[in-house]
Amino acid sequence: MIEVRGLSKTYRVPVKKPGLAASFRSFFDREYKEVHAVADLSFSIAAGERVGFLGPNGAGKTTTLKMLSGLLYPTSGKIDVAGHVPQAREPAFLQRITLVMGQKQQLLWDLPAQETFELNRAMYGVDRKAYRETLDELVALLRAEPLLERPVRNLSLGERMKCELIAALIHRPQLLFLDEPTIGLDVEMQVQVRQFIAEHNRRTGATVILTSHYMQDIAALTPRLLIIDQGRLRFDGAVDTLTRQVAPERRVVVQQVLPELVPLGFSATEGRMVATVPAEAVNALLQRVLAVAPLVELGVEVPPLDEVIGRVFRGNRAEEGA
Amino acid sequence: MRWWPRMHMEAVWALVRAALLTAMQYRASFIAEFLVGALSAAGVAAPLFLVYARVPEIQGWTLDQALLVTGFFLLYNAFVSGIVEPNLGSIVEGVRTGALDYLLLRPVDAQLVLSFSRVAPTAIWELLAGIVVVVGALMRLGAPTVADTALAAGLLMAGLASTYGLWLLVVCTSFWFVRVDNLRFLLSAVTDAGRWPVSVYGRGLRIALTTVVPVALVSSYPAMALLHRLDASLVLGAFATAGGMLVVSRGVLRLALSRYASASS
Repeated sequence: MIEVRGLSKTYRVPVKKPGLAASFRSFFDREYKEVHAVADLSFSIAAGERVGFLGPNGAGKTTTLKMLSGLLYPTSGKIDVAGHVPQAREPAFLQRITLVMGQKQQLLWDLPAQETFELNRAMYGVDRKAYRETLDELVALLRAEPLLERPVRNLSLGERMKCELIAALIHRPQLLFLDEPTIGLDVEMQVQVRQFIAEHNRRTGATVILTSHYMQDIAALTPRLLIIDQGRLRFDGAVDTLTRQVAPERRVVVQQVLPELVPLGFSATEGRMVATVPAEAVNALLQRVLAVAPLVELGVEVPPLDEVIGRVFRGNRAEEGA
Repeated sequence: MRWWPRMHMEAVWALVRAALLTAMQYRASFIAEFLVGALSAAGVAAPLFLVYARVPEIQGWTLDQALLVTGFFLLYNAFVSGIVEPNLGSIVEGVRTGALDYLLLRPVDAQLVLSFSRVAPTAIWELLAGIVVVVGALMRLGAPTVADTALAAGLLMAGLASTYGLWLLVVCTSFWFVRVDNLRFLLSAVTDAGRWPVSVYGRGLRIALTTVVPVALVSSYPAMALLHRLDASLVLGAFATAGGMLVVSRGVLRLALSRYASASS
């Protein structure tokens, strides 16, 4: 579905020191700095996959999504999305994709969301019967019925995101680019949006590419992960693989404080005993614990995803510093 | 997918409909804008009456003939303030804020969407005033022949096309320089010269008003066609200018879109 080879995007940004004198100088003799938003990115994504782009602010995630959807011209490299070159913006290509940006909106601010849906219906040339069916289905899935007739400016952030999703899916795209779709939403609404995206992917088989800051989005939605940092691809693979690679250790937790476990490598924290060991040593350790204290409550924990990813970024920085 | 022209007509209608709904959403503002539009339309013809109260004719133009020019100028103004300015003006804003993103994602011709997604309903006053002034002047001057009328209509369209192309060119520069609002104001100020018959100006200005800022094409030329004062070379020139402007501005827009940098989010 998507083939990306050696993709780069460089912005030329004016730089200016603060102050009036510097502004005056910059007016006549402007200095530019080249910002490499994306550098030499290569990956492929198959039809129907759900993939998460993860990275800190300014990592190049949004720039990559915008190039994949044809909004931005790449500086170099090749992109093939469903047999099209995105930046040519051919109607047949645009019919197949959609882009939802959590930080921007396409809904007409002063009018009820329905008017935007109708506008998109005409824009995408969807006939009325298909439109009605799609709309009913999306409204039911998102439980958005009561929102349709209120002006968009009177909707809450979460309600607006539901309507944004409907507006973006009216033409039944096969490829969904979702840029931070859950940003700023409360936990309950985040869950609803996630469930909807997963359900939509299951029903339609559409390919989903999602960027997010929230690890829960990634953990719940996208089996495959692309980690981008400073415009470069740092990891491409399954979430489990990442955890195994970056954080191969497990935490064995005993739910009470037992000083006799200290010789086995445990230490006491917050009323529990915790030992961190390599994954392959877990079984042996469990047996030794049970030999010492047969009746304790035992647990094995995988390091949380955000800790794992934090390590990837810190590792990159350390590498570059060296 | 549907047939290209039909889909685009539907798309433009949907855009215009949404624009009208938005304009009517705020009743007080809508009514106020309507009144302002009516007053400014009335104001355009007033200076003519003041001047012609003192002199019977200027450079061979009598009051009724000059009114014809004013009428066409009003029609031109209705087009600019009703369609060109709200749409092309919002491109400048869209480039700065990245709001063009969603427009460019739709599978319809970008130029069409960028040019017709808004309307300013108040322009209806200038449109009505223009029609009244042109028809009124013709009633006093005598009805023109069908051929002259057709030529005048053709020239008006050519003039509108040229103006649109020029505006688009100016607005496209915003993809490079981001803020070009003042260029737009300059353009509006210069085109105001079109309310007078072009022959009242000196030679240099006359050439500028027919080529650089072709406002004379819109106001004077159709009037001259109705008055039988145009020769074939001027007519050809007008249509050539219109065609050239449309082709060049479309090319520049394509180039400009490839430079679109969106805005970070």
